[in-house]
Amino acid sequence: MTIIEGMMSGFVQSISLGVLAYLVIGALFGLVIGVIPGLSGHFAMAMAVTFLYSMEPGAGIAFILGAHATVAQGGGLTAILFSTPGTGQNAATLLDGPPMRDNGQAGLAVGAAMASCFLGATFGAIVLGLLIPVLREVVLFFGPPEVFVLAFLALTFVAVLGKEDMTRSLIAALLGLLLAMIGVDNVTNTHRFTMGSDRLADGLSLVPVILGLFAVAEMIDLWTRGGALARHTSRPLSARDTQKQIFQGIGLAFRKWWLVLRCSAIGTTMGLIPGLGSAPAAFVAYGHAKQTAKDKESFGKGNVEGVIAPEASNDAVEGGALASTIAFGIPGSSSMAILLSGLFILGLETGPQMLNDNVDIIFIMIFTIILGNLIGTVVGMFLVNPLSRATSIRAEIMVPVLMAIIVTGAYAGDRSLFDIGVALVFGVLGYLMKILNYSRAAMLIGFVLGFAVEKNLYLALLLDGPWFIVAEPIPRALTIITVAFLGWNVLAIRRDRRRTKYHG
Amino acid sequence: MRRTFLKGFAALLTGAVLAAPGAVVAETPAEFYQGKAIKWIVPYKPGGGYDEYSRLLAPYMEKYTGARVDIVNMPGSGGMKGAVEIFNSPSDGLHIGIINGSAMITNELAGIEGADYKVADYNFLGRIVADTRVMVVGKGTGITSYEEFMNAGTKVIGATGLGGSTYVDAVIVGDVFGMDQKVVHGFNSSSDIRAAMARGDVHGMWGSLGSAMKGIKAGDHMVILHSEMNPSGPLEGIPSVYDVAKMSDDPDGQAKILTAWEGLSAVGRPVAAPPGVPEDRLAYLREAFAKAMADPEFTAKAAEGGRDLAFKDGDATAAIARAATDLDDKTRALFIAAIKGEL
Repeated sequence: MTIIEGMMSGFVQSISLGVLAYLVIGALFGLVIGVIPGLSGHFAMAMAVTFLYSMEPGAGIAFILGAHATVAQGGGLTAILFSTPGTGQNAATLLDGPPMRDNGQAGLAVGAAMASCFLGATFGAIVLGLLIPVLREVVLFFGPPEVFVLAFLALTFVAVLGKEDMTRSLIAALLGLLLAMIGVDNVTNTHRFTMGSDRLADGLSLVPVILGLFAVAEMIDLWTRGGALARHTSRPLSARDTQKQIFQGIGLAFRKWWLVLRCSAIGTTMGLIPGLGSAPAAFVAYGHAKQTAKDKESFGKGNVEGVIAPEASNDAVEGGALASTIAFGIPGSSSMAILLSGLFILGLETGPQMLNDNVDIIFIMIFTIILGNLIGTVVGMFLVNPLSRATSIRAEIMVPVLMAIIVTGAYAGDRSLFDIGVALVFGVLGYLMKILNYSRAAMLIGFVLGFAVEKNLYLALLLDGPWFIVAEPIPRALTIITVAFLGWNVLAIRRDRRRTKYHG
Repeated sequence: MRRTFLKGFAALLTGAVLAAPGAVVAETPAEFYQGKAIKWIVPYKPGGGYDEYSRLLAPYMEKYTGARVDIVNMPGSGGMKGAVEIFNSPSDGLHIGIINGSAMITNELAGIEGADYKVADYNFLGRIVADTRVMVVGKGTGITSYEEFMNAGTKVIGATGLGGSTYVDAVIVGDVFGMDQKVVHGFNSSSDIRAAMARGDVHGMWGSLGSAMKGIKAGDHMVILHSEMNPSGPLEGIPSVYDVAKMSDDPDGQAKILTAWEGLSAVGRPVAAPPGVPEDRLAYLREAFAKAMADPEFTAKAAEGGRDLAFKDGDATAAIARAATDLDDKTRALFIAAIKGEL
């Protein structure tokens, strides 16, 4: 089957009634899962897999991948409206989404986020399609040295992430790195910071940490502050205004196509790298948007670019993440491991066989991502109005309801009561960080990347020796970029400081 | 999920009422299981072999027990968390699960923290499949046989965590045959090692035949050595570790260690209930498991998905597990050293 034939066949199958119906159901299911804080794409897929046994391959793929594709959209919605991220991939949206809501621009933010998700996902899916002939070579591009340098590069983005000062950001990021070390070290089997607890031996799970740092902290803040979630607005936006804003937001995302494109490229590239996931991609995209913007000061205070960047990249990840799963049957994340199980249940082989004989299946995946996100965008738009009304409900009612949902979300991922405790502890920590002006985003990115940085550094040292960062051409190039990026930042900071000194 | 919870709660309540003093009536296991829910623990995340086998088998366990089977993934501590959960769960016959036989035994032997179970004390329902171990080398290495492998200078072998099965296999067999190898451990998962092998970062790796099949079919890697005494199918014509041992200076000494090592993989992937399950219920579960494993629809589905089956009944599985833990001091010391990363 040639690629063109596969594309035609995949497209015809995707829009056939037997597949499209499942795609719609899957996409709606994913959107709902995404709206509930703590429930991730991984969770949506694990639930969807159970239904695959009686399905045709095309329908099954559309269903399971549709459910996975729209989770980021649902999560973006709640991140903006309720300051509670669906999962890690929406954490970066918290930096500018809720401030926009407070400025009475909830509709604008959601419209931009939804449209960026769709555009990002489409970009990632198209790249996947274009890469089919060289997919195996592309996947093999990233070994431990490359991943280490890339993860390190992503880590340096903490420098520009927050509106907080540099020293505090560094402290927070290093704390995040320390948190990533909790658990039994994979290399030496040493227990690190586990304090004799079996529960801590596996390390902290990402979802309860994020829920605690952002969602629970926000609830504590709201409770102590009183009033409603949406701060500066006296009354909720009228339905008509919201609708108008949504369309404006969509228009904005299209008008900022160049930013969307760059951030989508960041997302797709990071998706190709096994083990990084979509949370760092969103943060790096955010950092990139801030770095290249003229009005850096407005970031964190409700700049729509701060919503567009992470939402475009976190959905663009999907296309990249599928690459290694399709090309080698090697899953890069737990979601992809479930997808692989799903393909197995449907009787599909990955690897060369899929690349040669079942190209139509790959295109069903590609069209599923695009159509699923389109459905998510359209349906999400209708969800905004009722949900945004809830943001003006008083804290006394809102906090208990949201806390119940957050706690359930923290528990549901691994069915672990311990995770509820983790969410609560990090809630207090997050609240303290918020009022003391430490960057929670920097800590999260340290936590998320810490594991990848350490593991790949170890493997790279064992495989290629101590000079791996300069010996091979690709890591060498990446190292140069990293150093240049850091140097440029240091210069910019010194310049800013001199300027403030001068003005002060 | 809430509905299941409420149902379970209602069942619990009715159960409590019925079990009130004097209300105890003798019931057959079939009556007991009718309409109940069996909790089936999978000690790993969704996706992956243990999960796939469990989900494949669950409908047939439902068919032959009359109960509903709820699969619960309980990942953690390399499968130990789930194994401990099964060991300590109520012995009412409604709590069972699949375990990683060889890893649980080796962890218990070495007294690893968190190994709070006794493999010999589980009530085994039986074994789904043996964990035939194979050593594969990447296509790009140009190595096509064990002989070439031995003559190729220092080879890099990828492994997951220290003490994990990919690591233990590599160091035990490497030690017995005096292989010129460098074992690089620290990979996240066996998928991770496969990616490194495809890139040419590592030359080879150990793993179960089941997980290696996909890559063998795709031509990404090939088997050069394995633990199967009577090879067939994809292993036909490839030397086993016993064949290699026969040609050595110390065939008996080597065979002894290798037999102990193979004994571990023979425990494979058993389905187990906690100690103390009432005998009639255990017998009923074992029978249901045997019937499910023989169900033609199930075997066809497994074959379709390229999932091997090697059924053994409960008693046989228990015997295999006992044999695997019964090691002489020297062999035991060797294994403990391997698991602790001191070899």
